[in-house]
Amino acid sequence: MFGYLTRKINYYFLKAANDKANFRTNTGSATPVSIIAEPIDKDLSKNIENVKNVMSNSCDLAVHEFCFGYNRKHTGALIYISSLTDRGEIHKHVLNPLMYDSLMLKNNETENMFDIEDIGRSLLSITEYSVIIQLKELIEKLLSGSSILLVHGSTKALAINTIKVETRGVQEPDTESVVRGPREGFNENIKTNISLIRRKLKDPALCIEEMTIGELSNTKVAIVYLKTLANPKIVDEVRKRLSRIKIDAILESGYIEEFIEDAPYSIFSTVSNSEKPDKVASKLLEGRVAILVDGTPFVLMVPMIFAESFQSSEDYYSRPFLSSILRILRIIAFFLSILGPALYVALTVFHQELIPTQLLISVAAGHEKVPFPAILEALLMLIVFDILREAGVRLPSAIGQTISIVGALVLGQAAVEAGLISPIMVIVVATTAISSFAVTPQTDSSTVLRYFYLFLAGIAGGFGVMMGMLITLMHLASLRSFGVPYLWPVAPLNFSALKDVFIRAPIWKMDKRPSALKWDVDLQRQSRNLRPSPEKQEQ
Amino acid sequence: MKNTAVKIATILLMITLLFGCLDGRELSELEIVIGIGIDSADDPDSIKLTAQVVNVSQLGLSGSGGDPDSKPYWNAATTGTTIFEAIRQITHKTGNRLFVPHCEVVIYSKDVAKQGLYKHLDFFLRAIEMRLTSFILIAEGKAGEVLDAKPQTEELPAVNIYNLVKSYGFTSHLYDVTLKEFSSRLISEATAPVAPLIKVVQEGENKDVQVMGLAVFKEDKMIDELNMDETRGLLWVINEVKSGVLIVPTPEESGVAVFEIETAKGKVKPEITDDGKIIMHIDIKLQANLSEQTTAEKLARPEIFEKLQDNMSEVVVQEIMSAYEKSSKTGSDIFGFGDMIHKKYNKKWHEQLEEDWEEIYKTIEFDIKVDSKITKTNLLKNPVTQKLGG
Repeated sequence: MFGYLTRKINYYFLKAANDKANFRTNTGSATPVSIIAEPIDKDLSKNIENVKNVMSNSCDLAVHEFCFGYNRKHTGALIYISSLTDRGEIHKHVLNPLMYDSLMLKNNETENMFDIEDIGRSLLSITEYSVIIQLKELIEKLLSGSSILLVHGSTKALAINTIKVETRGVQEPDTESVVRGPREGFNENIKTNISLIRRKLKDPALCIEEMTIGELSNTKVAIVYLKTLANPKIVDEVRKRLSRIKIDAILESGYIEEFIEDAPYSIFSTVSNSEKPDKVASKLLEGRVAILVDGTPFVLMVPMIFAESFQSSEDYYSRPFLSSILRILRIIAFFLSILGPALYVALTVFHQELIPTQLLISVAAGHEKVPFPAILEALLMLIVFDILREAGVRLPSAIGQTISIVGALVLGQAAVEAGLISPIMVIVVATTAISSFAVTPQTDSSTVLRYFYLFLAGIAGGFGVMMGMLITLMHLASLRSFGVPYLWPVAPLNFSALKDVFIRAPIWKMDKRPSALKWDVDLQRQSRNLRPSPEKQEQ
Repeated sequence: MKNTAVKIATILLMITLLFGCLDGRELSELEIVIGIGIDSADDPDSIKLTAQVVNVSQLGLSGSGGDPDSKPYWNAATTGTTIFEAIRQITHKTGNRLFVPHCEVVIYSKDVAKQGLYKHLDFFLRAIEMRLTSFILIAEGKAGEVLDAKPQTEELPAVNIYNLVKSYGFTSHLYDVTLKEFSSRLISEATAPVAPLIKVVQEGENKDVQVMGLAVFKEDKMIDELNMDETRGLLWVINEVKSGVLIVPTPEESGVAVFEIETAKGKVKPEITDDGKIIMHIDIKLQANLSEQTTAEKLARPEIFEKLQDNMSEVVVQEIMSAYEKSSKTGSDIFGFGDMIHKKYNKKWHEQLEEDWEEIYKTIEFDIKVDSKITKTNLLKNPVTQKLGG
C-alpha cells in the first residue's frame, strides 16, 4: 500500500520536474534566436522565409511581392502586419510611387535601384523611414507597425512608418474632472500625450527621452523634463531606475511606479500620477520629471511630496480664498477619513468622560439596542462600505446605481431599524467614506490607515490612536522621494514654500520655485511685486 | 527578512494579547449618572444617596419604543454609612457600575449640610472619575425630591438644575459654586464656603425647582443663609456680578428707575492702618442702562442722570453692607477678606490676626467707592407717558 503511494508520489514529482524542464525548452525554441541574429540576406525569398518563420506564420502577417522599375525587372517585397498598419497609406505613398512612378524612369536611372536608400530618398513620398540591416531590427520595426520594404539583391531594408493607431480622442478625464480649467486629458497613445505636453510648454528645453521597456511588450516609455529646471541628478536617477527594469511586459504605468518608487513597502505612494496635461506641465515647471508610458493615460511624476495630495489643479484656476478654504477642508477630510471610526470607538469605549453630557446621552441612546461591541460595529460597517464601493466601481453605471440604493437602504435604514447598528455609527462611517473621496491621491493609504487606527483604538483607545499617529508620522518623516523629503516643506520647514501647502497664496505671491528640487537653478520664476494695483496718477 | 517578519508578528501578537482592551467599557454597560443627591437617613450614622441615572432608551433618538409614561431618568436611592459605600450599593439595583464623570450637580439636603459636609465631600474630591467642575447645591428639604421635580422644558431634572445655576448671571442672585471652589474655600484658613440654595416650589400640580440665595458655612457646617440682595452684595465684592436688575429710586418723583447691569468690576484692597484698624477699600465700577421706569418724568437729563448714578451707587453699597452685616453676625468671612490680608500683611496675619479672625472680622471698616455710569436708555429717550407727568 505504502509502496504504491510512494511510487505514485515519486512519479508526480518526476513528472512535475519534467514539465518544468520541457516548459523551459519550449519557450526557448519559441524565439528562434539563430535566425534573428542573422543580417538581411541578398536573396529576397530567403528573407521572406525567415520573417515568416520568426513570426510563426501569423495570419495578419502580409507579404506583398511585386515588380518595379524599368521594364519591371526588379523584384521586391513589402512586409507588414495588416492589423497594425494603415493600408491606405501603403497604397498611396509606397506602392503607388514604386510600381507606377518608377515605370517612367529610364533604364540607366534604375540601375541604382539596388541601393535601397535611394528609393527612400527619391521615390517614396513618406517622411518617416529608416534603413535597417539586421533581421532583429526588422522584426522589431515590423511589430511596432512599420512596413518593411525588401528589394532583391540588397542587404538593406527600409522600415517605413505606416502605423495606424486606434485611439480615443482627447477627452475629459473621469478621475480629475474640473469645473474651471482645461478639460483635455491624456489618452492611451504616447505620441498624443507628448504632443499635449509640448503644446503647453513651447520651449526648446523640453526634453523627451524615449526608451523601450518590456521584453515582450516593447512598451515605449518617455522621460519628459525641462532641461533648464530639472535637477540633472534626479533625471539621471530616473533614467537609472528605469533602465534596470527587466520585465516581460509593461501594461500600465503602475508597473513602472512599483519598480522605481523609493519605499516599496510603504502604504504611501512616493510617485504621483495624473491624467491632465496642465497638471503635468505645472509639475515640469517646478522641476519635476514626468514618465509617460504608452498605452495608459496616467503619467507618472517624480519626486512627489505629501502636500501634493491636497493640491488640485483647479486650486490655481479659481480665486485664492476659496482654494485656501478647500485646502484646509481637504486636510480636515483626510484626518476625518483616517480617524473617524477610530475616534468613535476610542471615545465611546474608553473615554466617555470626554464626550459632552448631552451628546453622550444621544450616543448611548443610539447604542442601547446594538448587540455588538463598538469596535465590531465599526468594523462591520467599514467592511460593508468597502464592499459596496468596490462593487459600485466595477459595475456598469446603470447597475451601479442599484447598488448605491441597496447600500443606502440596507446600511442607512434597515440596519439601524433592526437595531444592528447605531445611527451615530452610520453617520460616522458615512462621513468617513465621503471624506476619503475628498483626497483622491491618498484614498488607498487612508483606507489602510482607517483599519489600522480602528484596530489600535479597539485595543488601547485614545492612547492607541496617538501611538498609531506617532508611528505614521515617523514613517512619513522618514520617506524620501528621489531624494526629496516626503513631508517637505513642513518638515524640513521651508517658510516660503508653505504658501502653497495649507493655503494657496495668490499666484503673484508665489514667485519662487520649490527649493527642495533645486540644483544651481534660479528659483525666481516670475518677477516680484506683480501685485496688481491701480496706477498712481501723476498730478 | 524572515527574522523581521517573525519579530513584527510577535510584537503584534503581544500588543493584542497583553493589552487586552485596557479599561474599555461599552456604552451599554454604563449607567450615566447626571446628578447626586444626599439626604440624611433614619439612622443618624448613615446617609441616603440618590443617583439620577439617565434612562437612555427613553431618550431614544428615533423615539421608537419606550413608554410615554415612564420617566427618562431613574433616581436610584440607597442608604449607606459613607458615600462610596452607598454608590457601590446602588449596583444592587442598577446591575452596572455607576459612571459619574458626567455628574453635573451634587445636592446636599440642609440637615446634612448643618451636620457638616466634610465627610460627605471627601469621596467626590478623591474619586478619579469625578469632576471638580460639578456644581454643589444645598436643598431646602430633601435632595431626593429636588432631583425628582420634573422640569417642563428639560427632560432631565439634574440637567435643568445645572442650567439654572449656570445662568445665574442674569440676576446675580446666586453663584455657581463648583466642587473645586467649595473645597478651596473649605481649605482656606479664613474664607467661609458658600453654596447656592435650591428648593422645590409647588405650582398647582407641578413641582418646580427654584434656585436663589446662598447657604453660608462655617468650616463645613451650614450656619446661615443669604437672601438675593445679600448674595449680590457678596458678588459685587468678589467680582462675580455678570448682569442683573438694579432698582433705583428716582430723584424727583416717587417711583423707580430700573437698570440692567452691563458690566461690573469689583476690586478690593485691604489696609491695616498704623493704629491697627482694618479698612477694606472696595472699588466698584459699574455700567448700567436704563431698562424701565415707572415714573413719567424725563430722566434723560445730565443732572438727573448724575443723581440717579448716585442713587445707584447707594443701592450697591447697601447690598454690600447687608451681606457683610449678615455674615458678621456669624463671623464667617464669605468675602475672603482674611485671605487678602494674609497675602498682603503676611507677618501681621500670623502674629495678630489669625488666632481670632472671627472676632476681628466683625470690626472691619469699609471704604466703598462705587463708580456708576448710565450708558444708554435703550430704545426710548423719554417715556411715552411724558404728557401725563407734564
